[in-house]
Amino acid sequence: MPQTTQRHTVCRASELPPGERKIVEINGRSIGVFNVHGNYHALRNICPHQMAPLCQGKVTGTTLPSKPNEYQWDREGEIVRCPWHGWEFDILTGKSVFNPHKLRVKTYKVTIEQDDAQARSGACPASESGEDPSVETFPVSVEDGLVVLHV
Amino acid sequence: MTTTTAPTAASADAADSGKQLSLIDCDVHNAFSSPDEIARYLPKYFRQRGLSLPGRAGFSSPLGVARADAVPDEGGKPGSSIAKMREQLIDAYNMDYVILTGGGILSCGVHAEADYGAAVARAYNEWFAEKWLDADPRMLGSLLVAPNNPAEAVKEIRRIGGHERLVQVIMTSATRTALGDRFYWPIYEAACEMGMPVAVHPGAESTGIANTFAPGFPASYFEWHSNLSQNYMGQVSSLISRGVFCEFPQLKFVCIEGGIGWAPHLMWRLDKNWKSLRATTPWLTRPPSEYLVEHIRFTTQPIEEPEKKDHLLQILDMVHAEKTVMFSSDYPHWDNDCPVHGLPKLPEPLKQRIMWQNAAELYNLKPR
Repeated sequence: MPQTTQRHTVCRASELPPGERKIVEINGRSIGVFNVHGNYHALRNICPHQMAPLCQGKVTGTTLPSKPNEYQWDREGEIVRCPWHGWEFDILTGKSVFNPHKLRVKTYKVTIEQDDAQARSGACPASESGEDPSVETFPVSVEDGLVVLHV
Repeated sequence: MTTTTAPTAASADAADSGKQLSLIDCDVHNAFSSPDEIARYLPKYFRQRGLSLPGRAGFSSPLGVARADAVPDEGGKPGSSIAKMREQLIDAYNMDYVILTGGGILSCGVHAEADYGAAVARAYNEWFAEKWLDADPRMLGSLLVAPNNPAEAVKEIRRIGGHERLVQVIMTSATRTALGDRFYWPIYEAACEMGMPVAVHPGAESTGIANTFAPGFPASYFEWHSNLSQNYMGQVSSLISRGVFCEFPQLKFVCIEGGIGWAPHLMWRLDKNWKSLRATTPWLTRPPSEYLVEHIRFTTQPIEEPEKKDHLLQILDMVHAEKTVMFSSDYPHWDNDCPVHGLPKLPEPLKQRIMWQNAAELYNLKPR
């Protein structure tokens, strides 16, 4: 049964350039938001193996299946390796790269939305700024929209 | 350092004190960030060259040695910060005790220059005494020796082995000659004198003067790491068959990080052969597996993760885990096991034995 999701502003797009990630807490759930080659993806920050903080791991590529003594490095920037045991997960799908236990990590939808003052109901959830951000105005540019997480 | 005589083994049941132990971690790696930290404790002649230890055959872990999230806030190597270790491990899991086993130093015991190796072990112990020994009442230490230099190892054990916070002798599991050889017996004798178990830890296999694995050299870190248990199997087999536990009936020998799954096979094969070949080892008056259960202790990490969790429970039953197996995390290394999620659900009495009771009995630990 699909649950309705809520919008959560994460940060400005310029604060999350390609290759970077931001870990946020939404309703008690820790979620990693990744910019992979200009597209945004979000994963639950829990490795299904031993519950490690998966999204703190190294963002890297991996070797594709190949014959013995062949090494084909690919998917650069699309794989996150758990910081504890190095298990590899596809940031785009949440699936374990080599999936012996049929594992996957929950993924969430992330969008870029135009930053207009009415839509900006709150600051980045990770920032504890006490100011009401709607009081301040900023130059609005579509290039620097808001990264919005749908949870 | 003040020394006190090691107490005799006591029951871990602390019900009378009102306090109860619940978690002891038997393999935690404290580290130095710079080789100079150890080198400055070397005697003058050796100090000139600094810390220089044998390395592997060109391969290393693509993940590094340590967990990616264990770098101390103040910088330096994972395991070098007392504060970070408390935060990520001891406080996080409310551990009663952790047994510190060092890091990046065991291969002093496979150095071709045995006197230099022994000097490094001693320098490490001096550094440990200064930085870690009194850092936290929950942190206990291991006395490092270089097993390829038994005479110096014995001196070192007699020098500081009586310290109550040094709970075991530790040395590399990698050797040129199997650990059952009489060459090493003076080390076991000295450890027994001090009432200390002897522990071995992997890492130096295929480096320095150590043998590589039985079939030959591994071709990757993956193959190397997966073969470490093979070496342990040979060491345990040699300790039992050559009579180490007959000569030193008080000796307890701790196999850290060497796996558990191979042990049932070895127990049964030794027993089966003993029935036919006993006359060649007349000192073995009982089935060899009984010596193993009485004298060998295994630590859990890296715990085998079979397809069916029940299979691991069966193996634990086969190795008499209620006597022989002690929990370890291996923090902060990449292959560590989480104290909460690392092991499958265990029957409650067995869980208590593994998580603290076996270690409390071995190391004579009581609630603080």
